[in-house]
Amino acid sequence: MKIKFVTACVVLWTGYALATEVVTHPAVPMDQLTVTQLRGIYSMRQQNWPDGTAVRVFVLPAKNPIHQTFAKEKLQMFPYQLDRIWQKITYSGLGAAPVVLTSEQQMREMVANTEGAIGYIENSDELSKLKVIRVTQ
Amino acid sequence: MNYLSLKSFVLRSKLCLLLLLGSVVQAQADGLTTDKVRWHGFISQGLIQAPETNFVNLDDSISAELTDLGVNMSWALTDNVRLAGQVVYLDGGRRYTKGTRLDYLFLDWTLHSDFDWRLDMFVGRFKNQHWLYSATRDVPFTRNAIVLPQSVYFDSFRDIAVGSDGLAFKLTRNTSLGEVELNWSWGATNLSKEQSQILLSQLAQGDAEQEYVHQASLFWRPDQSAWQLGISLLDSDFTYEKAEQDYYSDGAMTIQRVMFNGRYAAEFWELSSEWVQERLDISDFYAPGFKRDSFSQGWYLQGRYNLLPKTWALLSVDLFDLDKDDRSGRKFSQSTGGLVPAYFGYQDDLTFGITYDFKDNLRLTMEHHWVKGTARLAYPVMPDLQYNKSEYWQMWAMQLMYWF
Repeated sequence: MKIKFVTACVVLWTGYALATEVVTHPAVPMDQLTVTQLRGIYSMRQQNWPDGTAVRVFVLPAKNPIHQTFAKEKLQMFPYQLDRIWQKITYSGLGAAPVVLTSEQQMREMVANTEGAIGYIENSDELSKLKVIRVTQ
Repeated sequence: MNYLSLKSFVLRSKLCLLLLLGSVVQAQADGLTTDKVRWHGFISQGLIQAPETNFVNLDDSISAELTDLGVNMSWALTDNVRLAGQVVYLDGGRRYTKGTRLDYLFLDWTLHSDFDWRLDMFVGRFKNQHWLYSATRDVPFTRNAIVLPQSVYFDSFRDIAVGSDGLAFKLTRNTSLGEVELNWSWGATNLSKEQSQILLSQLAQGDAEQEYVHQASLFWRPDQSAWQLGISLLDSDFTYEKAEQDYYSDGAMTIQRVMFNGRYAAEFWELSSEWVQERLDISDFYAPGFKRDSFSQGWYLQGRYNLLPKTWALLSVDLFDLDKDDRSGRKFSQSTGGLVPAYFGYQDDLTFGITYDFKDNLRLTMEHHWVKGTARLAYPVMPDLQYNKSEYWQMWAMQLMYWF
């Protein structure tokens, strides 16, 4: 019993119990992305969708469990690696870091209402005005 | 007011001013940020002491000359042209020139961008993108340590190595073997008299000029791998024109570097390493007809471990030999008739550090260095026998940093 409780705490603490979905604005002209393509977007190298629309990248704060799960599961990276990439481009002039939002609810609203937006949410049936992107190897 | 309380007052005043400046600048930056224009910055202040050396100061005291400030802007002029600039204020004591400077200001033209590859051209003053920490060596929270490994990031060369005025390209391409990044740059840095004297000592009264620096680098991030591997090459020529009354003669120097780097990332720990071989070819300069062609070698390995959720520990080993064929420095010492001790021929550094994050953008770093040898203390071309008196010396530093 004690072990199960500790395990549950560890799982909750590390965020492994979460599952995340990559979501975009409904008009984004793609249904799936490879891990490499998704990394390109979140490393801020990919500027445009295939139809020319600018990619707008949204993230949650580094310590948010949804962000940590997204980084590890979908990007196959650790959050500190993403921080390093964004800090390097921001402070050496190579580009702009993603826009950091404060909550999952704000993430849903911003992605749904911003042309070309991409973000991520906790797995849920409530997906109104969002397009779910399948991530493949 | 005695000397120590005066120093303490100056430090406290400096910190208050920095905090005030930080809150004002961040409020302004938040107000000015739009989709097209982004503002960011950083503020940091620390204490450092390196007794028995000329590294930071000459009186061996605890120094507050550890200040890094910066504010930058990125402005998207069109879909594929961007203007980026950063102004910094740096105070590293005697490590490099103190003051405000234009760190970078360039146009970034994205020549091609799709899901497979991207090509950018940079024109203006840009940062050195070729080594692991070169692009952000003045941005304290992007470094593993307050004082970077001197084998590769020699502070006396900081003003020359940090960036260039010129032209650069960056190509990133997704291949079946993973992501490949290729950087190429051509440019030069205009050296002020103060910068020249940090390199050549205050005996230099003439004009030092960097004719050009040509660099290329390749980074490879294999798919499904925690590794990043890289190689970089550098070629640079300098000239020196002596003043009427001068210790040195007219002369020329060539510096060439070959470097390899690697980084391994695990969830709770990380390793990073760089190896460098540097050729220094000096013609005339010390005296008409003088000629010396030598190869130095250096290497560091840094390991970071995530001790607690907000705390990282650092262990670093940094080794440097001024002449790869004279690692003990004996021949070098003999060539000066024993005037310069052999320990000016090498510098090995063991560092332990702790970093604690109070918030996502507020960090305190503390570190201690145990060092043997003085080959990476000023001046590169003129050993400072008066102030670098010990083969074994220590250094500690702590730095509080905030960024937005």
